[in-house]
Amino acid sequence: MPEAAVQKKTKTAKRRTVDQTVRRAARLAPDVALLVRDGRRNGRARPVEVARIVDDPTSGAGPELTLGSGRKLKIPRERWQEVRGDLKALVREEIAPLDAEVRESLLEELAATMESSPSFELSTSLHWVREVLRERLPLCAVSESHPAGLAVEAILAVDESSFWISGWLHDEDGRGEVTVVSPEGARHALTEIAHRYDRPDVRQFYSGLGIERTREHGFTAYFSLEAPSLLSSGWVAELQTTDGVQLEIQCPGVIRETEVVRSTILGELGGQGPVGGPLAAEHGRPALTRLQQRIVGEARIDSVDEYGRTPRNPEVSIVVPLYKRLDFIEHQLLQLSRDPDLAEAELIYVLDSSEQTEELAQLARQLFGLYELPFRVVNLSSGAGFAGANNQGIEISRGPRLLLLNSDVVPDRPGWLGALREFHEATADIGALGPKLLYEDDSIQHAGLYFHRAGGAEVWENAHCFKGLHRTFPAANVVRPMPAVTAACMMVDRDLYDRVGGLPLHYVQGDYEDSELCLRLAEEGKQNWYLPEVELYHLEGQSYVPGVRRIPSEYNQWLHTSLWGERIEELMSGFDAHAAADPTDRPATEEARELERT
Amino acid sequence: MRVLYVSHNHPTLHPGGAEAYALELYEAMRDTTDVEPVLLARIGSNVARQRVAHAGTPFSAVNGDPGQYFVFTETDHFDFFTLTSRDKTLYSQHLANFLLAHRPDVVHIQHTHFIGLDLLSQIRRVLPDAAIVYTLHEFLPICHRDGQMVRTFNSELCDEASPRRCHECFPEISEQSFFLRQRFVQAQFDNVDRFVAPSAQLMEKYVKWGIDPDRIEVEEYGRQPPAARAPAPGQTKVPTNIGFFGQLSYFKGGKVMLEAMARLPENTKAHLWLHGANLELQPEDFQSEFAALSGSLADRVTFCGPYRHSELPKLMGDLHWVVVPSIWWENSPLVIQEAFLHRRPVICSDVGGMAEKVRDGVDGLHFRVGDSHSLAKTLETAVTSPRLWRSLREGIREPHSMDTHVAHLLATYEQLVDQRKGALHA
Repeated sequence: MPEAAVQKKTKTAKRRTVDQTVRRAARLAPDVALLVRDGRRNGRARPVEVARIVDDPTSGAGPELTLGSGRKLKIPRERWQEVRGDLKALVREEIAPLDAEVRESLLEELAATMESSPSFELSTSLHWVREVLRERLPLCAVSESHPAGLAVEAILAVDESSFWISGWLHDEDGRGEVTVVSPEGARHALTEIAHRYDRPDVRQFYSGLGIERTREHGFTAYFSLEAPSLLSSGWVAELQTTDGVQLEIQCPGVIRETEVVRSTILGELGGQGPVGGPLAAEHGRPALTRLQQRIVGEARIDSVDEYGRTPRNPEVSIVVPLYKRLDFIEHQLLQLSRDPDLAEAELIYVLDSSEQTEELAQLARQLFGLYELPFRVVNLSSGAGFAGANNQGIEISRGPRLLLLNSDVVPDRPGWLGALREFHEATADIGALGPKLLYEDDSIQHAGLYFHRAGGAEVWENAHCFKGLHRTFPAANVVRPMPAVTAACMMVDRDLYDRVGGLPLHYVQGDYEDSELCLRLAEEGKQNWYLPEVELYHLEGQSYVPGVRRIPSEYNQWLHTSLWGERIEELMSGFDAHAAADPTDRPATEEARELERT
Repeated sequence: MRVLYVSHNHPTLHPGGAEAYALELYEAMRDTTDVEPVLLARIGSNVARQRVAHAGTPFSAVNGDPGQYFVFTETDHFDFFTLTSRDKTLYSQHLANFLLAHRPDVVHIQHTHFIGLDLLSQIRRVLPDAAIVYTLHEFLPICHRDGQMVRTFNSELCDEASPRRCHECFPEISEQSFFLRQRFVQAQFDNVDRFVAPSAQLMEKYVKWGIDPDRIEVEEYGRQPPAARAPAPGQTKVPTNIGFFGQLSYFKGGKVMLEAMARLPENTKAHLWLHGANLELQPEDFQSEFAALSGSLADRVTFCGPYRHSELPKLMGDLHWVVVPSIWWENSPLVIQEAFLHRRPVICSDVGGMAEKVRDGVDGLHFRVGDSHSLAKTLETAVTSPRLWRSLREGIREPHSMDTHVAHLLATYEQLVDQRKGALHA
């Protein structure tokens, strides 16, 4: 730490100095305590200093106290124990008597120390200090005699420092300011950012009391603190009304369980009519995107098991995510093992349901022993979802081309992979390539994807061309460009895939990842193609169950449209979902035309 | 020419006369060189399958035939009063897509039950050029009582629907509702270019109800000749064996038939063979009456249970007579055609499609509808007169053949397609 910086008189510089000191100290010593002194006592300008005790037991030299000024102080080991063990006494005796302004600034500085190296112990200490030192406002009482009211109904942790909060407030003019304070002391003003909406229950309550004034009582906000907050209880919310009323409430415990957080946020997004508008755009989308990132981020590769020797330089990498249903692998492996094209490919299964690791290992050994088709199994530590699992498998794959394949897709006959590869190779500026997929009764599951707006709706939905018609239906047997193709079986160039960022992770529980990937490819100037002569069966809905619940699917739809609406509009103008393409819409190269004739 | 046939059931899932005819017609058209037919048959939660086969589409293929599709509709979505589906996306999305993909020149509807009348206006919206032909099988569009046109309170045959009369049958439903129902159905029917009535009496009732006589014609169902004809009955001197084919339901006259058998003099030799099913689906009091009657007739009546169509030559082989004792109008009962194909005279009620298709004293005998005395007397004459039996047998004409039927329909389709084009581009 440069000494000169400490000398600067501006507040920010001082705080940075303190933070840096603390940060350095924390790296050295995970166990921390703090010392605060009244600077006036020894004639310094700085009234309070935050410090950490740094102790290296191996040195034998005894602990060292690094002060905010950077000055180091040696203390004998016995004395240090005392200081550290008696934090509470220190705070009560030394700090509590300080004036309110000093205490407030101290608390802010303390809260900022969470930024550097958060730990549960530090959180606990900070919270405790805060409870001793903070200024308390009158507790809010919701009643007839109190025209101002405040309630926080839920705080959800999207990650360690991002939170979703919802509640309501009632005041004279609807312009009261709400601030939440974390247990560690970090403050965040909600007034500017919160989404406000009508709460008929609250409105009725206050109008019953004859003191209805504000209309939009409800508030919901997604916000991020600068430092993590790890404690579940101890959040406080404060209300300051324009007519000078100040009050506070204790918030309910923070909910951290991912599934509950996600479904609660979704519930709020869909709770007031169709998902959309500023609530979805300004709060829902950043919160859910962050949550998805967290879920995917937490899923790491635990291990990669190799069965047989997979090709080191494959032409194609086939990546198959597995979720719950493992019985399809047998059917898939049997068909793939009969196909000479597989010699040029590597096969990677990604297990997205980690509780089945043992079961899959056993099955994989058995199946490899019989079919002798080499493959690798990627075991994830937790569920990453369809897009996340695919991306993890792709991460360890080696081929210049990727083939995304669902586990419930089974080829109709050998030769499918070679045909896809040849077409892919021969077609200039190709984006994603998809084959024809069939249901068990020979009706069409997939003959290309397009977008449509049902009954004048704002949002675009994905739709499959000729779905349900017979596999021989003439218009479904024309090679043609498509707005998009399904990721249930999709070939795409690896570099291109990486360049556009792969399957997006921000959709909730699957859906729309493939169409967004295709839209990203289209944005790159690439054309997505449908190749009907390649036919596979897709027993849809048997592996990853598509998001059939209303709100997640509404949210996904809304997100998809708000990101890609214009591009979709462009792609759909001039696309006829009900007829075969114009014969001039053929692949660009001679080889491809040749291939088509065969 | 592309022709789309729409049926309310498919014979692989539900054996029934109208659906069997729809499939036979589809197959016969497929064998012509003029027509590329597609058959769209409804399936639903009340038939064979509990739920839609594939998410996102109600369509699925039938037995690997590229010309046949199931369309799934939820039984619960069907409004039995207005005869259409409450799920409008069925039309605005799914059926629209299906129509646009196939672009038929003619849509020939065999039935809209469980699919719904909104199909008609949707065809017109999506394919203004397409001709719409609609075959009428019973009186569902006219009569809320399962299309039977039989009064609810006294089983009197009804020959005229009106809001007032319908309200009498269903006091809980207002005249206004019946008026709206009729307006709704007729507005949907306005989209149809040609109605086909398999019997003249059916046509007359629809004309009386409001269909323009220029848009409706009588055309009997066509039948393929059976693979084998039933041989003449064996060595019995007297024609004593009587057969019944069909559902053992109230409207089919099962009770009249048993009562008549009970009234036959003891020394009259006669035996009734009941080929049919679904007694267990009938109201309980009907079932118990039926059981009591048949219990006392054990030596004269044999329950044979359900039968398959392919068994008919053999089953008819043991019979002299086929009895059709329905207490409603019927349309053109397929069982009469079956009997005539196997050269069995028919004893039937003297009303509606039965009286029209069976000529009294020429190829069969009439009795007074619903009257077991009259039927008993007729049966007594029949089973004791070998000469009468032989002469009626001689009087039987070959039923309307599928070939003739197909040729007639083709001519109709062509005429209507031209007409539509002319109308549209005039």
